[in-house]
Amino acid sequence: MSKTADRAGRWVYRGVWGVLVGWLRVPDEAPNVPPGSGDVVRSLRPAPGFLSYLKVGFWVLAVIFDVVIIGIWVLILGANPIAGAITAPVFWGLAIIPDIFAYVALHVRFDTTWYVVTERAVRIRRGVWIITENTITFENVQNVSVRQGPLQRHFGIANVLVQTAGGGGSAAEGGTSAGHQGLLEGVDDAQTLRTLIMQRAEVSKGAGLGDDREDSRGTLGPAHVAALREIRDALATT
Amino acid sequence: MESGKGLDGPAKFDHRAVTRPDPVLLKHYLILSLCSGPFFPVVFLAHYCRYITLRYRFDDDGIWMAWGVLFKREINLAYRRVQDINVTRGVIQRWLGLASVAVQTASANSMPEMKIEGVLDADGLRDFLYAKMRGAKGQSDAPDGAAGDGGADGPDEALALLVEIRDGVSSLRARVDALEATRLGDNGAAS
Repeated sequence: MSKTADRAGRWVYRGVWGVLVGWLRVPDEAPNVPPGSGDVVRSLRPAPGFLSYLKVGFWVLAVIFDVVIIGIWVLILGANPIAGAITAPVFWGLAIIPDIFAYVALHVRFDTTWYVVTERAVRIRRGVWIITENTITFENVQNVSVRQGPLQRHFGIANVLVQTAGGGGSAAEGGTSAGHQGLLEGVDDAQTLRTLIMQRAEVSKGAGLGDDREDSRGTLGPAHVAALREIRDALATT
Repeated sequence: MESGKGLDGPAKFDHRAVTRPDPVLLKHYLILSLCSGPFFPVVFLAHYCRYITLRYRFDDDGIWMAWGVLFKREINLAYRRVQDINVTRGVIQRWLGLASVAVQTASANSMPEMKIEGVLDADGLRDFLYAKMRGAKGQSDAPDGAAGDGGADGPDEALALLVEIRDGVSSLRARVDALEATRLGDNGAAS
């Protein structure tokens, strides 16, 4: 079944994607890089494991949903065969059509998610109907949390949540649209990303709250340290 | 402040030119209001008042935004306090070429503090805001900023002081050494 079905599926999906790009103006390339933010470290979609992870969730839900609907239909068929025959298209349609939509939506979700990580900032694009692009500089990052469930571990992916200062109602749950945070869902190099972002946050002298100008002015540069070292050497008893 | 403008580089976004939302925003509000069905007159009136009174001012250090007919609202925020920038585009907004740029500061509220609507060059505005944000440029670029001139004097003065002290200490050291040498020589001669 697989080869022709696969080709047909690809063809249908390309059509869906064409409608999205042409009519709904969904951009089909990566978001532009924040200017002057250094080299692009990575610019990509979630890891392929994320797609598999989404599909597992989809199949679990689809099977439960379909078993319930087909079960109801079988009960009706058992009680009254004529009513069962009449309602058959409704129930089977109800069982199958939402699944197809959900399956396509899952692929679209995967293909419209972009993470651009540069040396100094991260930009996350997400959404189909409403496209949001969130830009966070690492200077403002307060903490980075990595979350991985057992299923995500199986697929070798994890969620990286980058949080800035400030509160938000659903921020603790790591909602995708809440403020003061950026969620990088389903990435396969979570530890690398975490290290990169935390290095930037640790190097920063400010508290991530817009106070670095005054702080950085009083600090000593390498020239000062060299002069101080020479003074120490001059004072050292030989 | 020419240096602030120079930061933008190739981006042609002129922040001083933006004072009113683009007329396309009214069209967007009209479509949004139509979606509310029977409540159209009320919803549209509210949106129309907002559109009519909406004013922006992008200074060198911050943004000022005001709107309202009966209840006036005014928001001020400094570029340096910006935590993250969210650009949101719905389907209708994409058709009209609009976007809303939400700017967040570190307040205890997950809703954005300021939502700039009706700016046609949303990407330009975002790049402009990004360039003004903390940590947007590297550490080496910091003296290019407005405080760069004042900041450059401080460390240099400290360095000059340190160099003076170093020279003083080394000349002192030389004299102490010479003194000690003569004393040692005297002692040696005495014994």
